[in-house]
Amino acid sequence: MELTRRSLLLGSSAGAALVLASPVLTRLASARGLLTERTLDQVVKAGLDAAKKAGATYADVRIVRRRWESIAARENHISDVSARDSYGVGVRVIAGGAWGFSATAKVTPADAARVARVAVEIAKANAKVVKRPVTLAPEPVHVDVWQTPLTRDPFKIPLEDKAELLLAINAAAMKVSGVKFVRSGVDASSEWKLFASSEGAYLEQEIVRIDPGYAATAVDSSKGEFASRAHEIQPMQAGWEYVADSTMLADAPRIAEEAVEKLKAAPVVPGKKDLVLVPSHLWLTIHESIGHPTELDRALGYEANFAGTSFATVDKLGKLAFAAPHINVYADKTKPGGLATCGYDDDGVATQKWDIIKDGRFVGYQTTREQAGWIGEQRSRGTCYGEDFASFPFQRMPNVSLAPGAKDLALGDLISATDDGVLIAGAGSWSIDHQRYNFQFGGQTFHEIKKGKVTRMLRDVAYQSNTLKFWHACDLLGGPRSWRWGGAMHDGKGEPSQSNAVSHGCVPARFRKIDVLNTDTRSKP
Amino acid sequence: MDARAARKQLDKILALARSLAKGAEVHAALTDTRDANTRFARSELTSNGDVEQTRLELRLAFGQRQASISTNQLDEPSLRAAIERVARMARLAPEDPERQPVLGAQKYVAVKAGFDRPTAALGAPARATAASAAIKAGYTDALEVAGFYQHTAGSVSVATSAGLFAHHASTAASFSTTCRTADASGSGWAGAWSTKASTIDAAAIARIAADKARRSAKARSLAPGKYTVVLEPAAVGELLGFLTSSMDRRSADEGRSYFSKAGGGTRLGEKILTDPITLTSDPADPDLPTAPFTDEGLPLTRAAWIDRGVVRNLACSRFWARQQKLTPLGQPAAWRLGGGDAGSVDDLLVGVKRGVLITRFWYTRWVDPRTLLVTGLTRDGVFLIEDGKVTAPVNNFRFNESPLVMLGKADALTRQTWQMADGMLVPALRTRDFNLASVSDAV
Repeated sequence: MELTRRSLLLGSSAGAALVLASPVLTRLASARGLLTERTLDQVVKAGLDAAKKAGATYADVRIVRRRWESIAARENHISDVSARDSYGVGVRVIAGGAWGFSATAKVTPADAARVARVAVEIAKANAKVVKRPVTLAPEPVHVDVWQTPLTRDPFKIPLEDKAELLLAINAAAMKVSGVKFVRSGVDASSEWKLFASSEGAYLEQEIVRIDPGYAATAVDSSKGEFASRAHEIQPMQAGWEYVADSTMLADAPRIAEEAVEKLKAAPVVPGKKDLVLVPSHLWLTIHESIGHPTELDRALGYEANFAGTSFATVDKLGKLAFAAPHINVYADKTKPGGLATCGYDDDGVATQKWDIIKDGRFVGYQTTREQAGWIGEQRSRGTCYGEDFASFPFQRMPNVSLAPGAKDLALGDLISATDDGVLIAGAGSWSIDHQRYNFQFGGQTFHEIKKGKVTRMLRDVAYQSNTLKFWHACDLLGGPRSWRWGGAMHDGKGEPSQSNAVSHGCVPARFRKIDVLNTDTRSKP
Repeated sequence: MDARAARKQLDKILALARSLAKGAEVHAALTDTRDANTRFARSELTSNGDVEQTRLELRLAFGQRQASISTNQLDEPSLRAAIERVARMARLAPEDPERQPVLGAQKYVAVKAGFDRPTAALGAPARATAASAAIKAGYTDALEVAGFYQHTAGSVSVATSAGLFAHHASTAASFSTTCRTADASGSGWAGAWSTKASTIDAAAIARIAADKARRSAKARSLAPGKYTVVLEPAAVGELLGFLTSSMDRRSADEGRSYFSKAGGGTRLGEKILTDPITLTSDPADPDLPTAPFTDEGLPLTRAAWIDRGVVRNLACSRFWARQQKLTPLGQPAAWRLGGGDAGSVDDLLVGVKRGVLITRFWYTRWVDPRTLLVTGLTRDGVFLIEDGKVTAPVNNFRFNESPLVMLGKADALTRQTWQMADGMLVPALRTRDFNLASVSDAV
């Protein structure tokens, strides 16, 4: 946390409770000059006071401004230049043991007070049928500022510079014979929020994320064949420096050539094969098969109508052999770069790092203040999140990462050790059942491994497995130097669906004798 | 927001844009929404929301240079800031040779009954009552009940500096319930979507879900393979979406779509599905009225996409239409799959020697765009059909199958269609050789 929380508190110290009834609120500032507008103090106060007066036993006010800026290109021209802003205030309350929530895009003291009263009304209506009153696990009262460490604010990079990069990538890719189409783009997003609770928490945060990418498409019209190859660059919590320092442009000819190569690649022969999965691919398998099943609300049935439940039920906590004994997986909302990293969650809980799988055993869930008590834990893991001011905050996935192996192995060592396998890079098709057992994944590129060597490109590959079987079939892990982030900007959960950005760090890993399919149905009867 | 209020606000925005960004072509869209919901799980109410918001999307162009901005802050200082910002962006943007001039005034078909006042007026107590009725329906069988009730009301209005004005107001309501047996060996789902909340019977939906949960408990093990399947409407709608989203003229012409022909050209005019199957869209469909215009303001009218199995139309952007000397055709907001004459879902079971009845699909994703191959899973009610009757619950499956196979091998569809998620009016249907690729242990 010390690495990322560049906070400077004026006139207060972290942990000191604020008396929100006081007309003069503590001012917050930070190294980058993030500073709550003085008028917002009044909005916060009006919301909390109105909630309390209407009968709330707990209330929090979140003022959230989200900004997106996107630029996209296809072939030789810019196809989209757009910006999107969302701003408003949401008030969440507990009254009579039930939640109530309401929000408005009008950020004034009067509107905050109005929605606070609506939230309490809703809570009281629901309280009549609530069987298990909401209780919140205790948390020290935090007063702080947190922001993404970055050197180049992507919102201040001239549009011309962004356009120039994309057009250069497209031009380099289009030079490759057989490539007919290229799409590229960069999305920058900022999530600024002020959280204040009736307990005295007062937190201002700004999270900046960047999502660059491109894909080349090769077409062989005579045969009616086409194939696309996307670059494996991952979205990150970072500034423009991440894009500027990347090899996106330099890689364009190779990415384009691989799109063409995919057209001519050998069809995979289905069967049981060893898989060597690199981080640009494996993060997504971790996300689906470990990240989602260890969400406590899901395990208890709170997502049964949509996202589903989980095989990792509460009775299995501390007991279930989830993976081979050398596998360690942890949640971490503190490491810089991770998309879900921040200082505090939307319950006002300081973010943490904890074990999910320790020596192969299932040992930890993702929780919120409401949920911690459900499994007898004393403190929330700090994973509460609402997508924007209008979204009810609930349990969302932290960065869930695979720890490196003990030996200093590189990807090459895993390949050398493999007799008959497939090397898979990048994310392709993905799907998993609603209890997180059966999954199927594709990828961007597939290469045959024979007798320790990469021999040729394959196509039409997908693998199908069962979560527990798969993680027990993992026998080799890359070492600490091979650890990389992967991630998704838009992980969906909840009704109405909310989007959460989340990263998964991992190393290359080998999985023994996994079912590999050929997905080209035209070649079969 | 009614048409008059929308027009007044858009006129003000267009005037402000003209004064702050001289010489710009302007396209403005206002979306005004109230979105309210109640969730329930573990047989009690959990969370809820009720949010009203108006969002403006403003697109400015100077010649071929263009940019857009979207904001929910509509007071005058915020509007000025947004216009100035998007004008700066547009002036800096490289030229987009594909940009089309904004549309002038258009004629739209009249769409009736898209907006239902009682639905727009619903509140938290009505939602709590419906959710409680669903929870009560599960009590008798000691089931855990979860679900979601959502209703929205709002309007979309589009105006341009060339004189276009379009307005459409709508309401929508949806209710879905999942019941699970206490021993977690059975799960059932049911749901309904409508423009009118009054047509949704929460307790009836919950009873179907409860019945399925009870009947699906302790499922028998069934091996993967190719089966004759009877797909309920939710399953049909989910898979159909992959076909409708692929019906694009440009990607077909560019050789990167199922609708491209080897050697060049498209599959327009080709028979790709069995005879009775017809895929149409009509914004004025009384069963699912939708906006008679696209985001750009391009009119949408009744269109036949697949007529008795033959591909008749592919969506075509204004740019591509100009390029290829075609008529633009917008992607509709709602689709109707028709052509069936079976009286009921039970009628589809008749004659099935051995097959599988599927309630709905989950986590469907593209596998191969060349064949429209999709993967996904069954959930919340899968049953064995033997000699025309449902005989036992069976395990869930992963499937790898294409909507082209679902519809290409369909031999019976119900006459009735049901509104499902994402603007789908679909029947239940029976099809064969459906690839249930592997077993899922999920319940």
